[in-house]
Amino acid sequence: MNYTVSLVGNPNVGKTSLYNRITKSCEHVGNWHGVTVERIGKKVTIEGDTLFVTDLPGLYSLSVCSPEEGIARDEILKKSSDLVINVCEVGNLSRNLYLTLQLLELGVPVVLAVNMMDELYKRGQKLDCAKLEKALGVPVVPVSAKYKGDEKELLRVCLQKLRNPVAAYVRLPYTDKLPIARVAAAMEDKAKKAGWDARWAAIKLLENDSFVCETLMPDERERNVLSALGDMQARVAQVRYEYIDTIADGLILPDPAAKRRKRKHSDNGFALSGLDKIVLNKYLAFPVFLLVMAAVFFITFGIAGNFFTWLLELGIDKLLYAPLVGWLTKIGCPAWIIGLVGDGIVHGVGGIFVFLPQVVLLFFFLALLEDSGYISRVAFMTDGFFRKIGLCGRSAFTLLMGFGCSATAVLTARGLDDEVMRRKTVLLTPFMSCSARLPVYAAIASAFFAQGKPFLIFGMYVLGAAVAIGLAALFEKCVKPLKSGKLSFIMEMPPYRFPTFERVWQIIRHNAKVFIVRVGTVIFALNVIVWMLANFSLTTGYTAGNGGKSILETLGMLIAPVFKPLGFGNWKAVSALLSGLVAKEAVISSVESMGGVSAIFTGAHPALSALAFMAFTLLYVPCVATLGAIKKELGAKWMLFGLIMQLFTAYAVSLIVYTVGLAICAGKGIVVGVGIVALIALMCTVALLRTKKKKGCAHCLRNCNGCAKTKKEEHAG
Amino acid sequence: MTLTHAKANTVYNVLAVAGAGNTRRRLLDMGFTPACKLFVAATAPTGGTVLVRLRGFSVALREDAASLIELTAERQ
Repeated sequence: MNYTVSLVGNPNVGKTSLYNRITKSCEHVGNWHGVTVERIGKKVTIEGDTLFVTDLPGLYSLSVCSPEEGIARDEILKKSSDLVINVCEVGNLSRNLYLTLQLLELGVPVVLAVNMMDELYKRGQKLDCAKLEKALGVPVVPVSAKYKGDEKELLRVCLQKLRNPVAAYVRLPYTDKLPIARVAAAMEDKAKKAGWDARWAAIKLLENDSFVCETLMPDERERNVLSALGDMQARVAQVRYEYIDTIADGLILPDPAAKRRKRKHSDNGFALSGLDKIVLNKYLAFPVFLLVMAAVFFITFGIAGNFFTWLLELGIDKLLYAPLVGWLTKIGCPAWIIGLVGDGIVHGVGGIFVFLPQVVLLFFFLALLEDSGYISRVAFMTDGFFRKIGLCGRSAFTLLMGFGCSATAVLTARGLDDEVMRRKTVLLTPFMSCSARLPVYAAIASAFFAQGKPFLIFGMYVLGAAVAIGLAALFEKCVKPLKSGKLSFIMEMPPYRFPTFERVWQIIRHNAKVFIVRVGTVIFALNVIVWMLANFSLTTGYTAGNGGKSILETLGMLIAPVFKPLGFGNWKAVSALLSGLVAKEAVISSVESMGGVSAIFTGAHPALSALAFMAFTLLYVPCVATLGAIKKELGAKWMLFGLIMQLFTAYAVSLIVYTVGLAICAGKGIVVGVGIVALIALMCTVALLRTKKKKGCAHCLRNCNGCAKTKKEEHAG
Repeated sequence: MTLTHAKANTVYNVLAVAGAGNTRRRLLDMGFTPACKLFVAATAPTGGTVLVRLRGFSVALREDAASLIELTAERQ
């Protein structure tokens, strides 16, 4: 038989972890709310039956607030699954059961999987499963998705329920406290038309659920019935929680068999953990954050990363490049083949491949930040700052994910409730320096700034973040469709959790695999194409040695003058940037295959040109995949806006970097001179803007508050 | 009094949740129901956001959401 099963539950209860266990997948998981934003599914075969397992985004209630919750709600209301596995977190059972009650109200077949049992056992406690089963009338299976094994028992229970579908009616006594019958009678026909049970629709209408209200469109009379009952929204939530309190009482007991006892709480059981007292402390929070970030960067780009990269570089050069080119020359291969294999493939692709350890380390640390729950603390402590620029702490997740991969990070913005805030976060995420940009900085920095390499790379990350923050502030002030104003922000904070060795190994293996596949396919193909275009001419064939102009040179020369003011107006740099549109790693692999960093950044100040080039690489269009993701989230119009904004910002910032650099190179006097002129110019602009504002107010050219008042008075008069 | 005026490290009882729309919806679904015990754990270093614990979990709220939550002092 074929069955469909879906995983439903509150955010961050381990639905995707359980999904990965059941289907042996490797979907992204993390210890924060809203990691999964799309429905994903996979088939598994057990004992001759095929289960199609679907993982849904988390939701707190069937009345939803954000689009990714809507995806889950729609799936549940369709009742398309033969069985719903309701995943709960044992440490947070009361709030989790709130959704369970709603599933039971809806009448879908449910198996309750109580996850994170390992945490309960560690505290020396146990769960009275039989009591919970009896109270809810559904099978209850304790699981720890973090460890292997429990999923088998869960699947066994699910299959049993699927094979013997008994229409189990669960009586929910709290519903008697609500005036359901009256509303159900009034709405019966409409509910039937929408395919809903009238009693269920009645509860939702009492709750003032916007989706059900919009679908059923209560008319005048029906609305009167509802409004006569008063504010029932709070009442519904209250009776559900009251019922939960009665069943949850005495559900978690001390385990007499446990070796370790729970440490005695000296206070009311509410207090923060010792770690949180430090991490969230008013004065220590930011120093701790900076320390953590600095440690991550220095390990990734300094000590460990550098060593492994150096080792790989040496290996590729001595063990692959030299013998291969030597052998090809010996057997008398044509020069262009030696060039293609040696420079185009081994140097170009190898030039990226050496960054494998650093990229894997970066993803490892990002995963550690996610899995531990620290990211949520960062979101909390930075929220005040983010509010000022029209974002919220939740945007910090998406932006931080941007350090990994811009395209996937853009999709995580779906967890943001507000549309304007989501739009803004999506547009700004590409400025966060993704892992593909890392090889570009690393290769250029080690060629020109060997001493300060980790600082320079760190500087690039800071520059990206600063540009994003600056633009956010600018949008909030000046661009109306991107102005979000004061918005509410409610974010659950998960407890600290630590990944198992299995998980750590999985992160490393998965990211290494993704990187190798990417380098082996996209980057490889791109590099062969770029090398061919850079070394062949339509008229004279292979250009090396005959001085002909290659195809790329001819094309690149057309665009190159645009980049003259930035210090890298040569065709090689331009072609590298063009190939970077497909994948940003290709910027450096193209550079390597066209003769290396030193061949591209020439002139009076090669290091400065290289610096401007790095800034441009950081800020211009991330890659086609990211543009696709932005289009998917915001539509073509906003994607185009993003594209233009990225190009403009990249050009402007690089220009500033190069010009300021030139001024510093030219001498102190000029710097001071330019500084004074800039200061005067700034003061003039500010003064001008101020007078303009005042003028606007007096003549009512701008919509300021004062004018609105006078207008109103005039109307009143 | 509302949660915005609550003192840190203190236990309160929820009296009611005011307001309308998504914010109220979310707060009620999360368990800010009358008579529920609530502990003010911390305020953000950047201000304006408060961390509360209730029903065994922690949640961060911005001022606007916090101002919807009416509290009474917990009786000792």
